[in-house]
Formats: sequence, structure tokens, C-alpha cells
Amino acid sequence: MAVYTMRRLLAAIPVLLAASVLCFLLIDLSGDPLGDLRVAQPPVDPAVIASEEVRMYLDRSVPQRYLLWMTGIGGNGDIGLLQGKFGPSVRGPAFDIGAEIGARFLITLRLVVIALMMAIGLAIVSGVISAVKQYSTVDYLLTFTGFLALAMPAFWIGALIKEGGVWANRELGTGFATIGAASADTRGFTAWESFTDAAAHLFLPTLALMLTGYAALSRYQRASMLEVLNSDYVRLARAKGVRNRVVIRRHALRTALIPLTTVSALVIAGTIDGAIIIERIFQWRGLGDFFLESVSTNDSYSVMGWLMLSGIIVVTANLVADLLYGVLDPRIRYG
Amino acid sequence: MQARTKLARTAAMVLVPVMALAACAGSDDDTEGADGPGTTDPADPPGNGVEAQPGFETCPEDPYNCNSGERADGGSITWLVVSGVRTWNTYSPEGGTVYGLQVLHGIYPHIGMFGPDRETFEFNMDLLAEEPQLLSEDPYSWQYVIRDEAVWDDGTPITADDFSVSWKLGTSAEAGHCEGCRSRATTNFDQIESVEGSDDGKTVTLTLKPGEVNLEWFTMFGVDDVGGGVMPAHVAAENGFDVDDPAQLGDYFEWLQETMPTFSGGPYRIVEGNLEERVIKEPNENWYGETQPTLDTYIMRIIPDQGAWVPALSNNEIHGGSPIQLIEDILRSLDQMPNVHYHIQPGPAWEHIDFNLDVPELQDVALRRAIFTAIDADNIAARIYGEMYPEYTRRTNHLFAEDHPNHVDLVTETGMGSGDTDAALAILAEAGYEFDGQTLTLDGDQIGPFRLRATSDLVRSTSMELIQADLAQIGVETNIEPTDDLGTMLFEGDYHIAQFGWSGDPAFVGLTSQYYTTGSPSNFGGFTNDDVDRLAQEELTRLDIDEAADIANEIMRIVLDEAYVLPLWDVPVFTFITDDYVNVRDNTATSLRGVYNNHEWGTAVQ
Repeated sequence: MAVYTMRRLLAAIPVLLAASVLCFLLIDLSGDPLGDLRVAQPPVDPAVIASEEVRMYLDRSVPQRYLLWMTGIGGNGDIGLLQGKFGPSVRGPAFDIGAEIGARFLITLRLVVIALMMAIGLAIVSGVISAVKQYSTVDYLLTFTGFLALAMPAFWIGALIKEGGVWANRELGTGFATIGAASADTRGFTAWESFTDAAAHLFLPTLALMLTGYAALSRYQRASMLEVLNSDYVRLARAKGVRNRVVIRRHALRTALIPLTTVSALVIAGTIDGAIIIERIFQWRGLGDFFLESVSTNDSYSVMGWLMLSGIIVVTANLVADLLYGVLDPRIRYG
Repeated sequence: MQARTKLARTAAMVLVPVMALAACAGSDDDTEGADGPGTTDPADPPGNGVEAQPGFETCPEDPYNCNSGERADGGSITWLVVSGVRTWNTYSPEGGTVYGLQVLHGIYPHIGMFGPDRETFEFNMDLLAEEPQLLSEDPYSWQYVIRDEAVWDDGTPITADDFSVSWKLGTSAEAGHCEGCRSRATTNFDQIESVEGSDDGKTVTLTLKPGEVNLEWFTMFGVDDVGGGVMPAHVAAENGFDVDDPAQLGDYFEWLQETMPTFSGGPYRIVEGNLEERVIKEPNENWYGETQPTLDTYIMRIIPDQGAWVPALSNNEIHGGSPIQLIEDILRSLDQMPNVHYHIQPGPAWEHIDFNLDVPELQDVALRRAIFTAIDADNIAARIYGEMYPEYTRRTNHLFAEDHPNHVDLVTETGMGSGDTDAALAILAEAGYEFDGQTLTLDGDQIGPFRLRATSDLVRSTSMELIQADLAQIGVETNIEPTDDLGTMLFEGDYHIAQFGWSGDPAFVGLTSQYYTTGSPSNFGGFTNDDVDRLAQEELTRLDIDEAADIANEIMRIVLDEAYVLPLWDVPVFTFITDDYVNVRDNTATSLRGVYNNHEWGTAVQ
């Protein structure tokens, strides 16, 4: 297993390198980081623009810049991915891309972790019920709900849930918040008030993100459960007179969870990236918002930082999924 | 695995009800929203440019006092800021954006601003003991007398030292005052020879270099000047920066970039905040002005996503704002909120169509005139704004809005923007072009297709489509190519015909030079004309502002005759506010917009 893991990790390096080259080129083609500065009114002093070009290393060729961004050799100490430095930002010399990505990642994680825990939990429950009660009214209802959530784009789900939250506040006197991860002014809050405030801000985006993740997972769980329920060993257990509840919980569910577990690893990676839309709708200042802001300002090194993090998450998630499969399914052996 | 699954399931089962309960618990402030949706008549257009909204009815006649009212003590307001701010230093290109100036207004002392009548420059008589006077025209010199009561929040007097430091922060590297300062605009500050203090620094005398003139000297250190006000000198000293040392002043510049200002020389001080989400202000207890703030807390909430504004307003998470353009969906929603009022009026920006004269075919002035003549600007504006704001104003002068005292209608008589296809075809025929009913040719060669470019927002997308249709009438084929990077597009001249906007306050001296002289970095389309170059230079050296305006209009006539730029319309904007607040109104003469008088805001006396 260790050898396999190491081999996979080593194999990931050229993948990430190739991705980084491609992304760097595409970002370079997509626009000038100083475009806004060059057309600012009143015009910015050409000397300032020239100094910004030097600061952003735009006075160097694309290959030179890529090597600099990767290694930091020949830079001013603010660049070099291998040294843990993400490069300068158009947001000024004081802006630390790495620190910002770190802080934003934690915000996104807060949203994603809870949403995914709920999505996975709900998917398991509804998937199992659907499979056990196949072709029943409950199954049709859960299937309909799953497909509905699957069919609706994330921005639409987010907007609907937000409107629903506002309606609930107005009609039912609830206190759901629609923007940000916390109230604007939390000074003087007690621990409980801070908790309720965070929960009030977390509820709607979590629900939206949960629904987008839940839909696919529940279908996956249902299919997996049905396959197991129709297998010989489950039939044998039933024939032996094992109680249905025990058959489902101990024999069927445990096996049926294997595919879901591996898929979940990939879904987690996808959801971190996919949180862009939900973060935008609910104005969370997480990684998604960071990415959009960076793209809109042509902040090339920030976009690269986000893309590399995203690439690493996807590669890691794939690896984790493969490893989990090996751990959970005794039939799989890695060599 | 079993343990993990159990944990996930348990967490899901526990978290949902806990979060729901916690959310339902709410806070004391979350008590109100809109009173419920009203009926919507799809045929009923949004926008009350026609029917004035309560509080704002008198704005056209009384722009300084509309939506006034008696203020109650205390309360809190959360104001929408529609874009994030990159740094705290308003003197830098990153920090000196419209939004940076809005967020930090009320912190830095300033000389004044153009008032809501879009004509009068209102000196800040909270700061000044008397209206500034021009002392001399040779050398050009003027004086500020600062009130003895004017102090920073820590009691340090506001003096000439602050003006001197601010001046140096705004200069270019060539001036030699600061190493590493990256001022967002250096032209005016580089004109200054000296900033000197007398009377314990309470009298500030500014003198320009020999031969330099600044007809709009009174706007310097105003809210729309480079930094939006004056930076403190004593804060630099307290933090170990010697402002007389150019290198250390450069360090102070960077310190201002990254440091949230907890100092204040205005009515508010910042108590908490960040540049991405919100800035919380409270009244500055040492504010020396006549009108004291009554709000306990003034929060600026940054929400770039337009779709989030109405739910946040309904949910009492914001109370007002002044976005940069009309958005029909939002106006429709506001119409359904009886406790929210809004006011639409022409904003500080105006749209125009520019040619890129590097394109060989477009170097023919006859073709350019014909194209401008074929474009029906009124039809485009009416289709875009007609329902929301039928009183939109066509722009008939490149520099001066209709209500500017120096405005002259230069466009109408030329027929450009009229959509007169016959006249356009006549111009083309006279110049030797042939139109077969579908295609325009010159000497047998087809004209175009031209790349018609603009950003992809709804207004400009609609405009592009209508322009394309207008030009098809005279056989000029165009391909619409939207961009999401206007800056690069303009800088690289990556267009044939482009629509974009300029924005500004009523100050105008130097703008013609900036937009239309040979080689100017803002002259994106490469226009060159010897007379314009000469007149623009003349404008800068005139000592009489009306003479300068006449010259500016003369330049505009030439630019229009050359059919380089076609002004389209003033971009309408709106300000909205719930009826819980008074004294909130728009000032479209300044980039501050609704926050221009934030110290006068208050909760309405019930």
C-alpha cells in the first residue's frame, strides 16, 4: 500500500506540472493584470505602471515568469511555489496570496464540511429507504426529490433557498441570514450569540450546498444498495432467518457503502471547487469568492494559486478514493 | 468505517435541528423586513423617475434638502458598497477607487466637494475657518485657513504638516519627495512647488511651480481629489516614519496601504473592519463639525453580487445604497417594498462610442460620420432605459453634462446619433461608397466587417445589438465581440468600434488633453489633430475658467467634426433607502454618491 501510495504521489507530480504550465499559459493569454491600471482615470503616472510591471514580473517573458513562479529563483522573495510563495498580487505589495488562500480555505471548509456531512448522511438514509422500499410511494418521492435537486442548477437552488429564508423570516419570524458568514457587527457577542449568529448564516448556504451534493449521492447509494440486496449472500442471510433489520444494517449497508465512500472523496473535492456559486450567492468570502475576485481583476498569480490548490485537492481526492477502495473492499489489493 | 459512518450520520442528525433552532432564535435586531410582496402588474414598469418616491419628490428642485428629516439619537445603519476595496490607502491605484473613497469617507478631513446641484463646489466649512482664496496667479498660489477646533481624533491639531505629507504622498517619483509612493494620479500634485504652514500650521499656503496653472485649484484635497482628503503627519511620526526622508515616506505609504486607519479627522472613526466584507464606524468623539453624527454605528457592507442586494434589504441586513447603474430587476423588487424608497437621476458616468483610427478603413472621416449618423442613440437609450427612466438624458457634449454651466449642445446639429439612414447613405455616396442594398463597398472592396466591442453587461449588450442593426441599414457589417477585460481591450486597441464610459465630476480642465491629444494614454483610438493638441495646451494655461471652458468646447467641436467619439447618454443611477432613515440622498457630482453627507444621516424620529 505504501509503495502504491508513493507511486501515485510521484505520478501526480507530472500531472500537476503539466496542469500548471497549461493554466499559466491560459491565464497569461486571458488578460493583462495591469489592464485596469493602464486605463485608469486620471491616468496613472507611467513610472508607477512601470514599477508595477517590475513588481508583477511582467517585464519578463512568459517562460521566465513561469520558472520564476515555480522556483522563485531570480525573484524578489515574494514568489516561488516550491518555496511556499505564491507571487505578487495586483491588490498591492502587502497582499499575501498564500495567507489569503489559507484563510479563505478555512471559510470554505466550514461551509463544505457541514454541507457534505449532511448530504452524505441524508443520501445514505434516503438511498437505503429507496432501495428497501423499491417502487413504493416513498421510493418515487425520494427519487423525484433526488432528480429535482439533480436537475436544478446550483445558482437556482441557492436563489430559491435564499428567497425561502427571507420569506420564513418575514412570515415565521425566523432569523436566517442571507449574506456573509457572520453578521456585520458581532462585537460584544457572547459565545452562544456567536454560535447562533454563525448558525443563522450557515443554514441557508449549507442547505443549498447540501442539496446539490445530496442529489447525486442518494442515487448512487440507492443503486448500490439495490445491487447488494439482490446478491446471493443477502439472500442466504435471509434464508438463514436473520432478521431483516440486521440483514440490511450489518450485511447489506456495510457493503453498499463502499462505492459511496469512494465517490464521496471525489464529491468533496468537487464541492470545494463547486462552492464558488453558493459562496457568490450568499456572499461568503471563501475560496470561491477569492477565485472570482482574482479572475475579475486578472490577478494572475492569485488565479494560479487557486488553480494549483484545486488541482492538488482533486489529485489527492482521487488518490484517497482509490486507497479507500482498497481498504474497504478486501477483494482489492494494491501492489 | 462504521465509526465514521455513524459519526457522519449523527452529525447530520444533530446539526440540522441545532442549526435550524439557532437560526430561528435570531437576534434582537432581526425583527423586520419588507411588509410583504404587493401585487405585480407586468405591464407596470418599474422606476419612479415618473412618479417621485416619498422623501425624494423634491430632489430635482431641492437637491440639498430632499429626504430631510429630524433625526433621533442612536441607531445603526448598514450601507451597501457594491465592490470590494483592495487596500486602505486611497492615494494608491488599488485603494483610490470609487469604492475605496466611499468606504473611507468620513475619516479623512477634506477641503470640499461638488454639491448635489452638480454645479457648486461646497467648501468644507467644518474644517476651514474661511473660504479659500486665490492669493496670486504668478506664481499660482492659494491659502487654506483651518479652524482652531479642527483636530484629529486624538486631539492633535490638523495643520499644514498634514497637507504637506499628503501632497508628497501624491507626487511622482520624479518630484523627489517620496521613494516608493505609487500615487494613482500625480499631475496636480507635481505642479506644486511648496506647501507651507504659518500661524502654528493653521494657515496653509500652496504655491505652484513657476508657469503652472490650476484653474480648479479649489478642488485640491477635496473628496474627489487623489486621496479623497488629507492624511495625518503625526501618525507617521508615531509609527517611526520620518516624512522628510523620501525613503521613509515611501514606507509610510506602504504602511497606509496595509493598515486599517483607526485615526480620524472626520465625523466617524473606524472601529473594526476588513476590505472584503465590512467596515464598522462609530462617531468620532473629537469631531469638530457643526453637525454631529447621531447614529451609534455606521456599517459599510461590501456585496458585489447584485442578486444579493434585494434579499439582504428585505432581510434588514442592509438599509440603503447607491449602485452605479440602473438594474431593472432590482427596481421592480424595490417597487414591491413599501418601506423602501429610491430616486433615479443621471449619474456621474456617460457612455460613448469610439473608433480605433489604427484600422485603415476607419481612417476615412466620411465613413466615420456616416456610421455615427446611422446610429440611433435615442432609440437605443429609450429601449434600454425608457421603461425604467424615460427622463434619461442624451449626452450632447463630450465634457459637460446638460446641467453644467458650460454645456453647449454640440451633437444635435451634426445629425450624429440621429439614426438618419438616408443622411448617412448620402454622406457615403458623396465620398464614393456604393451601397447595393446589402453591402457597402468602396472601389469594389467590401467595407468591414468591423469588430464591435464592449463589456457584456445587459446595457451594453443591448446597445451593441441595436448599433449592429443600425449599421446594417447602411451596409456596414459588424461582429459583436464582448469582453470581460475592458482595460486590456482599450489599452491594446483591440477593437474597431467600442462602447465604454467615462465618469467624473463637474471639474473639466485638462480632460480634453487627457482624452484627445496625440499620444495621451487615455486616447485609446489614436486620434491626432494639430489644432486639438494646440488648443488643449492653451486650455491648460488660461487663467479664466470660462475661457478654458470655451476652448474645451472648441476642442469638442473638432473631435465631433472628425467623428472620433459619439457621446450617447448620461448613465442613470439610483439611490435607495428604507424609510427608517432621514437625510440620505444622492450626490451624483461626486464619486461618493449617497455617502457624501453621511454625518447628517440618522434614524427618523417616529
